[in-house]
Amino acid sequence: MEGPIRKILVYVDGTEEAITAAQYAVCLAKSTGAELHALYVINTRALNDLVKARIFLDSEEAEYHQDLESDAERYLKHVDKMGSRKGVSVILEKRSGTVHQEIKKYAEEVDVDLLLIGELSHIRSRRDEFYNETERAMRLVHCSVLVVKDEERVWDLYDALPE
Amino acid sequence: MALVDLVKPEIIKVPLESKSKEAVIRELLQILIDAGRVSDFDAAYDALLAREAKGSTGLEAGIAVPHAKTDTVSTLTLAIGIAPEGIDFRALDGNPSNLFFLMLAPPNQSGPHIEALSEIARITQSKTFCKMLLRARDPEEVADLLTEED
Repeated sequence: MEGPIRKILVYVDGTEEAITAAQYAVCLAKSTGAELHALYVINTRALNDLVKARIFLDSEEAEYHQDLESDAERYLKHVDKMGSRKGVSVILEKRSGTVHQEIKKYAEEVDVDLLLIGELSHIRSRRDEFYNETERAMRLVHCSVLVVKDEERVWDLYDALPE
Repeated sequence: MALVDLVKPEIIKVPLESKSKEAVIRELLQILIDAGRVSDFDAAYDALLAREAKGSTGLEAGIAVPHAKTDTVSTLTLAIGIAPEGIDFRALDGNPSNLFFLMLAPPNQSGPHIEALSEIARITQSKTFCKMLLRARDPEEVADLLTEED
């Protein structure tokens, strides 16, 4: 596939915004013929921080880790279905670690041209800005980034795609 | 979901009236019942006590983060209490606890639960910020400190 967009990566974290981004990614992949990747990152950094801060017991860490594994499977499967419904195959990837670093690493490994992320939550303080994982990924990745907005419009676009 | 999205004056109590660990949990839980955020007081209370039985969530430096997964809430739910004089929460360092962040999450929302708890862990690392919270006179001031634009 030639053209400005050959490989698309959509970051999926289970939020409504990320699902909208995934819908838009399917639309873009369908219209450009680009290869579509979907990535979910299990935030083990946050889990470790909670154990270090002694908010979590070791047994809780294991339990929550298992929960996040299940979330990853569920959300990636959902994106896969969204793609296959429109005849777009999606390469699914699950990673563990610090979210923004894993997004950056995967984008480089696969050499994506475009990262799609869901609409960012309203930033109300510098603290938010500093710690928002998706925002940090947006700043770090080597490729262009598209922030997907307008859920209704994206839904209509996805719905109108031929199957 | 960011912590700031959970912080509202109606889920904050300054100062807490309780004098014991169990009473603090009940007092914070009652705030959430009154705010219509928790459907079953006893079930939520039992879930919190079950977690405390495994190990106190009273940390060091006056911070306590009682938390539990429970289906008595439909979304991530937080209550904040401040006790300037300190309450014995059987904290890990043996000192009285002053700042209480009680968090309940539905069993299927572990991701947001973890993010919000780590945000609490981060902000309470600042001794200056904790002192500012302790000096707050009312729920509005606490909410402002936690959600301030800067």
